[in-house]
Amino acid sequence: MWCAGPGAYWDTRMHKFLRRNFAGYAFLLPWLIGFFLLAIGPILASLYLSFTKYNVVRPPQWIGLDNYAYMFQMDQRFWKALQVTFQFVVISVPLKLIFALGVAMALDKGIRAIGWYRALFYLPSILGGSIAVAILWRQLFNYDGVINSVLRLFGGDGPYWLSDPRYSLWTLIVLAIWQFGSPMLIFLAGLRAIPQELYEAAEIDAAGPVRKFFAITVPLLAPVIFFNLVLQMIEAFKSFSGAFIISGGTGAPLDSLLFFTVYLYNEAFAFLRMGYASALAWVLLLIIALFTAIAFWTSKYWVHYENERG
Amino acid sequence: MSKFNRRQFLHTSAGFAGSVAVFSAFGQPAFAQDTAVRHFWWGNPERDKRTFAVIDIYNGKTPGVKVSGETLGFADYFTKLTTQIAGGNMPDVIQQGYGVLFEYIANGAVVPLDDFVGKSLDISKMDQSAIDAGTVDGKFYALSIGANSHMAVFNTRLFEEAGIKVGETFDPYAYTYDELKEFAAAIKEATGVAGTDDNTADYQNFSDFTVQKGANLYNEDGSYGPTQDIVEEYWSTWAAIRDAGGTPPGPESAALAGVSELSQLGVVTGKSAMSYLWSNQLVGVQGLMQDALGAAVYPNTPEMIPGSVIQPSQFVCLTRDSKNPEAATAYMSAFVNDLEMTTVLGLERGIPSNSDVRAALEPNLSAAEKVSVEFFDRIQGKTAPLTAPPPSGSAEVEQTFERLAVSVLLGERSIPEVATDFLNQAKAILARA
Repeated sequence: MWCAGPGAYWDTRMHKFLRRNFAGYAFLLPWLIGFFLLAIGPILASLYLSFTKYNVVRPPQWIGLDNYAYMFQMDQRFWKALQVTFQFVVISVPLKLIFALGVAMALDKGIRAIGWYRALFYLPSILGGSIAVAILWRQLFNYDGVINSVLRLFGGDGPYWLSDPRYSLWTLIVLAIWQFGSPMLIFLAGLRAIPQELYEAAEIDAAGPVRKFFAITVPLLAPVIFFNLVLQMIEAFKSFSGAFIISGGTGAPLDSLLFFTVYLYNEAFAFLRMGYASALAWVLLLIIALFTAIAFWTSKYWVHYENERG
Repeated sequence: MSKFNRRQFLHTSAGFAGSVAVFSAFGQPAFAQDTAVRHFWWGNPERDKRTFAVIDIYNGKTPGVKVSGETLGFADYFTKLTTQIAGGNMPDVIQQGYGVLFEYIANGAVVPLDDFVGKSLDISKMDQSAIDAGTVDGKFYALSIGANSHMAVFNTRLFEEAGIKVGETFDPYAYTYDELKEFAAAIKEATGVAGTDDNTADYQNFSDFTVQKGANLYNEDGSYGPTQDIVEEYWSTWAAIRDAGGTPPGPESAALAGVSELSQLGVVTGKSAMSYLWSNQLVGVQGLMQDALGAAVYPNTPEMIPGSVIQPSQFVCLTRDSKNPEAATAYMSAFVNDLEMTTVLGLERGIPSNSDVRAALEPNLSAAEKVSVEFFDRIQGKTAPLTAPPPSGSAEVEQTFERLAVSVLLGERSIPEVATDFLNQAKAILARA
């Protein structure tokens, strides 16, 4: 059998590979099936469409790089959408991580019924992306809403949170921070993995809580912080439903809630520029990829894994 | 497991059969041999209730045909329709408005009805004006299901409390923006409720105002009609009413820019005594509130040039994806001709275009519908001529207007500056479309 040689070679290779990685791929399988059956087709189609003019009713028309050229040279709302999105990412992600870490450290103190608290704090993250919570948020921050009513009790006069472009983005940043549950759970697991002896040794050396935090907790937690940072950053770039609902779908007031995804949605479904919207989607993908790459590159300098020696 | 006895089994299967019945009531074809017709419209709770009732009547009368209804709010309707066009699964019968209809005809998504007229589709009792409005290049595409016009609605209780006598101190069919300013402020003074919604960011009112000033929203060549002067004057007019205390505060109105839900109108939320809409919406709005509504035209300038048009509010159309055009057009025909069905539909979509239907409705009108009919009688001959449908890009111009008007409402930039900005952007949008 002429093919027996390489065949056997591949068999053993494959066998080794499977034995080593089977569990990992088994866990990935549902995602892989979804990706190859459902996602990859539309993704590739959108790449093609991004080079066309396509209003759905008429067939797509090839226009080369025109969409991209228009985006960077002519489209003021594109730049506005980028600005709003960056502002949201840069402010909300660090605040959310700090908040999540704070809560995780508080819960790590061996409180009774900790499972109960964990579940309670995680709840907003499950609800957070939903339309219902976005509508609730709109009611809370309305001029006659709960927040302003409480402020009035204390003699304050709250502003128009939602219709004043100076405040509207902040309501969404608060909404994002409120969904601190999943990074908190991951932090909590990370904190549990830090050996207690280190803290005990530090105490003997008379280190205060601040010193212990920066000298032990942060460095040992760095891989977890990094993981949360990347995840939350990607999520923040893609954030959509809150801004969509609170701005009535348009990015109002005065484009202060014109998240990139909201702009993309409007171009696609309000103005039927599917080709242009596809180009926007690909630019967003590249932006997210770029920032993730930057995060990975900087991680060399601040993230150390325990199993790395030296 | 042994606990699962026969009684429980019967229970569960009955529940299962029940849920199957519920599902089929929600519009899936119940039996394979039935001819399925899907009807899709944008609605409000009142309209949805009436339309589903009409579908039940039709299904009861027409064995072998199963009409199913699908509905969404206006904001989402065209999004869904767009994805259905792309997927090649548009419903058989869709609702269209005067503005966008022509785009769908041009693109072939909506098909001509001429082959069915006189057979499955009866238009012999239709007003000629309604047939003309649905005809493009000699082909008949769209069946009018009601006519409407711009209407202002006011809370009669609040007007009374402020001592404003309709027909004496306030003529609902001819009043100026200056008069509006005075009585709106008076209502605020007397009742604590603002006299009128603030229409600074309302494109419908702006288009009305443009025609009152002798211009058109779009010129013959498709270019944008309103001038710098008109835009500035429109915003200054509303700023004066706002400054006089006649409207809710600017930031509050800013939050409602571009919002199309009837439940957010000032008369419904109780924030103002007067709101502005399409005349057919009166029935839906009255259904959302206790106080009786009165009807008025839009305010005007002292020259009193009519700014509103009477136009078909909605059409039903046949789509190119329809697999049973005979059955679909027969349903469309019943929708506008069948007296039992049109009685249920009433005037909710506008004044019907079929004279027999109008006559049959007359004796059984609700209070709100009577107001609607009287309004229509009073404005006959006092409206502007119907203009050509807007060019593509007009929806984006409208959204841009609403967006920039917010900076006027918030007092962020001067009116002339925003007006210049708006006209430049409108020009760019139309050039790109």
